[in-house]
Amino acid sequence: MRNPGRRGGPRDTERFNGWVERFAGYHSHVSIARIERWLAQFTEDHRDLAARILDAVEFYRPDQLAGAYRSILGALPGWSRNAPQRQGRWRFVAFSIRSGESGDSMLATFRRANDLTGARFNELFAYKADLLKENLGPEDTVVFVDDFAGTGDQAINAWKEALGELLPRRPKAFLVLVVAVQQALRRIAEETPLMVRTFRHLRPRHNFFANECTYFSRAEKGTVLSYCRRAGKSNPQGYGSCGLLVVMAHRCPNNSLPILHGRSTAFRGLFPR
Amino acid sequence: MTQLRAMAPGSVGVKTIPTRELQPNPHNPRMLFDRDPLETLKNSIDKVGILVPLTVYWSRAEKTWVILDGQRRWMCAKALGLKTVPVNEVAEPTPVQNIVTMFQIHKLRADWELMPTALKLQVLMDALKEKRDKQLADLTGLDRAVVVRCKKLLSYPKKYQDMMLDPDPERRVKADFFIELNAVLRDRNVRRMTWFRPERFTSQMLKRYSKRRLKSVTDFRKVKQYINNAVKAGKTRVITQRLREFAEEPALPVEHLAIQAAAVSAKVHQITTAVTRLEVMLRHINAMDYYAEEALWSRLEALLQLIRVKLAEVERRSR
Repeated sequence: MRNPGRRGGPRDTERFNGWVERFAGYHSHVSIARIERWLAQFTEDHRDLAARILDAVEFYRPDQLAGAYRSILGALPGWSRNAPQRQGRWRFVAFSIRSGESGDSMLATFRRANDLTGARFNELFAYKADLLKENLGPEDTVVFVDDFAGTGDQAINAWKEALGELLPRRPKAFLVLVVAVQQALRRIAEETPLMVRTFRHLRPRHNFFANECTYFSRAEKGTVLSYCRRAGKSNPQGYGSCGLLVVMAHRCPNNSLPILHGRSTAFRGLFPR
Repeated sequence: MTQLRAMAPGSVGVKTIPTRELQPNPHNPRMLFDRDPLETLKNSIDKVGILVPLTVYWSRAEKTWVILDGQRRWMCAKALGLKTVPVNEVAEPTPVQNIVTMFQIHKLRADWELMPTALKLQVLMDALKEKRDKQLADLTGLDRAVVVRCKKLLSYPKKYQDMMLDPDPERRVKADFFIELNAVLRDRNVRRMTWFRPERFTSQMLKRYSKRRLKSVTDFRKVKQYINNAVKAGKTRVITQRLREFAEEPALPVEHLAIQAAAVSAKVHQITTAVTRLEVMLRHINAMDYYAEEALWSRLEALLQLIRVKLAEVERRSR
């Protein structure tokens, strides 16, 4: 969570332009008009609070995602671009595929970021469906690439429901993420053999509703919660009650506040999923 | 140890291993077990101990004991805090042997995702060079129908197979989608359509699925039926165009493929078949053998009356 502006700060052209510039690249373009419409959903008394929430949003641009993936891969033990220097066989796999999009877009970002787009690196990139017949062993490494983990639910279920069976000889298995919440990291470590490597590690103070988050008062949190209930009845504090203010250029995690991404008839988020 | 446990016969040729040194078999299809049977087993083990030793092997790669058979007994032992479990050690199986054993031991539950099972079947098919459904069913203990379903899933490109392995259950595409779609993709009338490209059509159907424009994956059965009816009614050109429109425009409902003449034609075929069957049956009976069957003769009289009415409606005389 970024440090929001002071209370009562002007909602002037400079501030609006700052938001537009900072959120540039979101898949659903964030314009001044859209920000104005979003703010208009709050009562006049609450618009300053809403503006400070926008100030506090952590937005990850594509170049930041790429930078994160570069730094993570460089630190993985046994990795080298040069095949003879690599330890064992390496396979990079998309952790999730979004059928409506270009599929394994995070894996594509990872590949480009690490300059592995040449044909000679093709064999390093695999589908999950390839893993069983590859018969990777303890001397090999598989790297699952994704962007975010809030609760760890998906990683844990994925391991128990499928991945564990696809990697019977237990190669080293990393899950590479750009952003992860501390509770997710702990749960994944406890319940799976996946080793998580993340660029940004969110702590309790990044949960808007946590006591550790001191940027907003208890009264302000109560006010925001009432809007969040309109935006997303089922998880008003964000999925897993994570209460995050995190948005990535290609999507807003549902662990973030529903006022950011919700699409109910009562409230439309600024960052629709 | 309880009295009952003390009465259990001792084991010969069996050793004990610390419970915590055992690992579940990675090929064991699922970590989930029904709670009630497990509770019953746990109570039984609590009273009499583990009567049937687990079957285990030493994994050289992982340097650990791995369970081949007996995971439920192991889970109960852990829950009861038993420090050791009795085991029979066997040689480390090959991956193929391990997969076959797991298939044989563990019944496939209806609610399990099918893709991991299909991928294991592929390993067996490649290693044993066996593709025949019956032989694979006999080898694995899977139902033949399940083998057929698995093979349909394996016929898809890997990117689609991965969609069935997505960690997010809401985003995961159900195996049933691809299984039901398979019938349309393989339809020879469809494959003759010059515009048709299987992968593009699959993507278009996925788009429809993700936009919730499919009421149910069994809509694909309707698609196939409409195509078959149209072709039988000599409306191939029309259905070719309609199917293309259906593929390209997600908003069009499945009923867009229903061609009235084709529907009638299908009904005619159905009725003609039934009439022919009845005709054959009646020709072959000796009426005097059924002289006293009042119910039969009453029904035939009613049918005759109905037929006369229908013929009259279309201005035909009944002879």
